[in-house]
Amino acid sequence: MQYMLLINEDESVYAGENGEAIMGQTLAGHMAFGQALAEQGIAFSGNRLKPAATATTIKWDYGSHTLHDGAFAETHEELGGYYIIDVPDLDTALEWAKRIPIPGKGAIEVRPVWDME
Amino acid sequence: MSVSGAEIAAARPRVIGALAAQFRDLDLAEEAFGAAVEAMLESAAVPGNPAAWLYVTARRKALDQLRHRVAQARAHAALEPLEEHMAEVIELPDPIPDERLRLVFICCHPALSPEARVALTLKVVCGVETGAIARAFLTSEPTMFQRLTRAKGKIAQAGIPFETPPRRLWVERLAAVLATLEVAWSVAYRDASGKGGTAELAPEVERLALMLAELLPDEPEALGLAATVLLARSREAARLDGAGAMVPLSEQDPAQWDRGRIARAHDLLTKAQALGEQGPHQLLAAIHLAHATRQVSGATPWETIAALYDRLAVMRSSAVVGINRAVAHGRAFGAGRGLAELAQLDEARLAGFLPYRVSQADLLARAGQDEAACTALEQALALEPGPAERRYLAARLAALSAG
Repeated sequence: MQYMLLINEDESVYAGENGEAIMGQTLAGHMAFGQALAEQGIAFSGNRLKPAATATTIKWDYGSHTLHDGAFAETHEELGGYYIIDVPDLDTALEWAKRIPIPGKGAIEVRPVWDME
Repeated sequence: MSVSGAEIAAARPRVIGALAAQFRDLDLAEEAFGAAVEAMLESAAVPGNPAAWLYVTARRKALDQLRHRVAQARAHAALEPLEEHMAEVIELPDPIPDERLRLVFICCHPALSPEARVALTLKVVCGVETGAIARAFLTSEPTMFQRLTRAKGKIAQAGIPFETPPRRLWVERLAAVLATLEVAWSVAYRDASGKGGTAELAPEVERLALMLAELLPDEPEALGLAATVLLARSREAARLDGAGAMVPLSEQDPAQWDRGRIARAHDLLTKAQALGEQGPHQLLAAIHLAHATRQVSGATPWETIAALYDRLAVMRSSAVVGINRAVAHGRAFGAGRGLAELAQLDEARLAGFLPYRVSQADLLARAGQDEAACTALEQALALEPGPAERRYLAARLAALSAG
């Protein structure tokens, strides 16, 4: 079963005093995460997203739409990246999701991917 | 002679557990069991082993249902042919694979909200009607039905595994099961009158707790929780006086307590303590058991209870534990000490919490501060307690103001 692990985190920790060092550690954590997945033979993909400030949102309201500068959800935690992993069940997906590095505040949403077959 | 409701209730978790493990579909398992019960009640012949009969029949119904679905989808999935010989299976002493624990772990998965876990466990494992669960949770039947549907939908679609959790997940998953049972228990005992929507849950929660203790004999906290539930049940007859007013534990007539349940709780707790490591559920059971010793000794061992609450407060601090700890200290070492302990708690946060006001009133009265005690009782009555508690508090207030 495929699961998408959506990484929502507080971007401000990367802008603060030790921001660069924290970013370096987090990126290393992601590298290690990908490596661990590969070592276990788990098929996965994923991407890091540019900061929420670069987002443009198209809002729809029954046929008409407007463009907005910024991310859709106005929260302190922004969607910063995602993984899609192929594992047998939710417990396994949650175990992997807990290993994703989050240096400050954040949340990982684990969602099953709709099986189109 | 016909098959009793108790036999059907006992068969339920076994049959549904086995079917759920096999077909990985809670709805299918529940529906098939329901259809099998219906068939049994209609049938003239009473089977010698109702559980086995229900299992075989429900399994057949589930397979029929699956075949039907497959046919509807015009697919040709290769289902195993089912030509079971009922007689042979029924001869077996216990042909049902015991998957009850697996069923509990599925219903209590931490990916479900705590309230959904309780509702689902009561519905699927115990067979409590949706309406009864709704009444206990003070919500409408359609709302509860939706909640249950949503929980089952999540189990099916999010890929919640139909397996007993592996060792490395055991601690987290067991904690979720125990927390579920604890919520169910607190819902069953929310109403002091022992009547209304929550009372009908008490026997089911007890059955569930005892089943878990049976299935997890090496988990001291599961045994501790079962002991706590038994001890609460043991006092059911003593909770109300003739006028329907609540009787607090320390004023109950111990002769009305159920000796059998107390003895059983004692055995469970002894077993739990022999397993080592003492957790909060065992401590709570030990507290209730200490109260129960009054049945034999004639006196409540308040110093022991105060010491147990001290340990519980360290392990698991909560408003209720803090309040009960203050009361125990007050009874063990003088009302002044109890009031001092109560003063340590956050009054602003607890001002609207009934147990806080009731305990405060009790300690104040014992300290001879009748006027302040009356004020606390008035404040308690203003918090709209249930009818049994209201009667008790009003009587206390009348007695204090008269004195």
